[in-house]
Amino acid sequence: MVEKHKFLVYRNSGNGKSHYDKFEFPVSKGMSILDALFYIQDYFDSTLAFRYACRGAICGSCGMTIDKVPLLACRTQVSTVKTSKKPAKLPEFKFSDHPEWDPETEILIEPLPNMSVLKDLVVDMEPFWKFYREIEPYFARKWNDVAPESLQSTGQMKTIERLVYCILCGLCWACPVSKENPNYLGPAQLAKADRFIRDSRISDDRQESILSRVLQDDAVPACEKFFVCNRVCPKRVMPGTAIKDIRNNWINE
Amino acid sequence: MRVEEFDVLIVGAGLSGLRAGLELSKKWNIAVISKVYPVRSHSGAAQGGINAALSNLEEGKGDTPKAHAFDTVKGSDYLADQDVVMFMCEEAPKIVVEFESMGAPFSRLDSGLIAQRPFGGAGFPRTCYAGDRTGHALLHTLNEQSIHNGLNFFNEYFLVDLFKADRRIAGLIALDIAKGELVSFRAPYVILATGGFGRIFKFSTNAVINTGDGVGAAFRAGIPMQDVEFVQFHPTTLFGTNILITEGARGEGGYLFNNKNERFMEKTAPKAMELAPRDIVARSIETEIIEERGFENSYVHLDLTHLGAERIKERLPGIREISMSFAGIDPIEEPIPVQPGQHYSMGGIGTKFDGEYGETDLSGLYTIGECSCLSVHGANRLGGNSLLETAVFGRHIGRKLLKKGLPNKSSLSEIQIAEERAIDNIERLFKSWNENTGKKPVEIRNEMGETLNRNVGVYRTDKDLKKATTTLLRLQKEFLNTQVSTEDRSFNYGLIRTLELRSMLDIAEATAYASLWRKESRGAHFRIDHPTRNDDKYLVHTMIYSVKDELEIKTKPVKLGIFEIKERKY
Repeated sequence: MVEKHKFLVYRNSGNGKSHYDKFEFPVSKGMSILDALFYIQDYFDSTLAFRYACRGAICGSCGMTIDKVPLLACRTQVSTVKTSKKPAKLPEFKFSDHPEWDPETEILIEPLPNMSVLKDLVVDMEPFWKFYREIEPYFARKWNDVAPESLQSTGQMKTIERLVYCILCGLCWACPVSKENPNYLGPAQLAKADRFIRDSRISDDRQESILSRVLQDDAVPACEKFFVCNRVCPKRVMPGTAIKDIRNNWINE
Repeated sequence: MRVEEFDVLIVGAGLSGLRAGLELSKKWNIAVISKVYPVRSHSGAAQGGINAALSNLEEGKGDTPKAHAFDTVKGSDYLADQDVVMFMCEEAPKIVVEFESMGAPFSRLDSGLIAQRPFGGAGFPRTCYAGDRTGHALLHTLNEQSIHNGLNFFNEYFLVDLFKADRRIAGLIALDIAKGELVSFRAPYVILATGGFGRIFKFSTNAVINTGDGVGAAFRAGIPMQDVEFVQFHPTTLFGTNILITEGARGEGGYLFNNKNERFMEKTAPKAMELAPRDIVARSIETEIIEERGFENSYVHLDLTHLGAERIKERLPGIREISMSFAGIDPIEEPIPVQPGQHYSMGGIGTKFDGEYGETDLSGLYTIGECSCLSVHGANRLGGNSLLETAVFGRHIGRKLLKKGLPNKSSLSEIQIAEERAIDNIERLFKSWNENTGKKPVEIRNEMGETLNRNVGVYRTDKDLKKATTTLLRLQKEFLNTQVSTEDRSFNYGLIRTLELRSMLDIAEATAYASLWRKESRGAHFRIDHPTRNDDKYLVHTMIYSVKDELEIKTKPVKLGIFEIKERKY
């Protein structure tokens, strides 16, 4: 049985004006939202703009807001969008006035929240990358290629493992603080900072340098513990928990 | 026209491109050009690991770079160039230790050393890993080092064409995806590191972006494609989406079952069983499916349930997540439905016989990583050798070029003529696409993918391959009349995907053509009508050229002399 689905897609040519386009077409078994967007691009409107790469939830390209929830389009099935459990207590994301959306029958596809739109579903990630660079997310050890490698216990590795899995998709910028404060470094950035601060191999200098940045007002102290980031993260990185850990471990109250 | 000038241009920001960039930026003014942000590159999807004879495990004592090289050459069905394989395997322990010094979060042994696991076709457990997300860990590590070292990126720029002046490479034309404008990048050295091109097939583990833009651009500039008939079909891709299920799942002890509950690998590889090399396991699964011992005529079961929840959660968390998100199956409870799918391209941009590793016949043009054919994988790549190849040759090419120094640039007037001609060509192409009334690109792309899957797949015959070449020739003609809007070029991904198709059709055609020519079975290339290897005639690399719009085949000798050519048995 071929089932038709309706999609309501946010459009914006980059000039500030936005509208919504309706599409209706048969959906094949296993079709993801990303597949559906390709279908629209291939058959209805080749200029529909959205980012993509791996289609396997590892590259972090295709973050968008689907039925008012920030999600990876590749990992979201068309057939289960309406029935899957939504994260609790999400803020309302508003992109523009849109025509009557029937949440029962139409799948609403909008860009990521709290980032400016460049075209259609493509947002400006530059602030995201800028803040990422700002936390200095790197080791500065001199490269060495002579064995043995520096040691790390399995336990020490485990303390960073969850944080390492971040794919920098930007879903966590759905955070209400990111909305209010354009200078807030952001949950992914602070989780990445924690990944380095906690790494048993990091030098004292590096650790201090990263800490000095993330303990400034627009970073860890700005977090208001909404934990929206934890609930929308597709990789269970739990950035909010990482921020809490930095606060607990490094801020003396 | 916007013009940018550099000493070296690197196209592609996966592991190969980043590693080369990190080396070259120490001294030179370089640019890394990529159609996506670096961390979106497909290197990040590699799961299983990176091979190096580090001997960190007790069972691994006795492992050596030479043993690693032997396994690689044997795995390649003796088509790999033995000198370059030796070099890669000797560099392997150094490159892994270097990754660690950059902060790569490898999984560890109780001793604190980097953990290693067994992989298909390997005599020792030598695959270093970071859970089952090794590529992700390494790609992010190089991205971090790129930030630290201030690498110069042009992200979301799409390589359209190369241009030459004074008989050497002089630069490339790229489309700035955001602005939609064509930009001329001039440089006396260009390194193509654009990754795989599995998207010529319908069923592939590859990212949607793996479309061979570098291979196509080089081909249009006169550089041959080498060994493109050798396509690795990964035995275990998830039924439905063909997302990769790592060989590490079998390395950790996973079993393959048919619908009669038999571990069918005992028929084809009684010793190595599930850990035989990929080509052998893929053919075994395909046979089970063809002979109706699969499920739904489409897949077999990869069973991890006996490994237990703890081991699956610790060693294969990514596989569990993929199975749950994309197939609704928890591998702790149930077997995973898997089928073979295109996974890796052993062939690629042809390299010069007796040149530097990665050097092409066009002066100043180099190539590394999956888009290249050096050839370290020959007719079949071993798991864990692709991540290795990227970093080893990224570093190597950087060092070699720095040592060689900057060449004399082509004359400015020649460069200007060449870049203007290149841009005129592209503008004409865009204009025709906008005015054409033929098929939509999607129709051509789908038929190309289906043709390759059906007629240039795991099992090949003369008849099927002829069908494929005929179909692809027709698709090439239809593509001349394809239509896509090119008016608004800003973030026009419909246009980008049409440009990608332009390269993919050439690669698909060359793949079918070379497969037809090679009347033997070797590694991943299996001809039902020529089921044995024929070293007398075909122990050579194929080089496909475009001569006056027709494909022409030449051969290049294989570098031998370290390991004796033998029958390949597991």
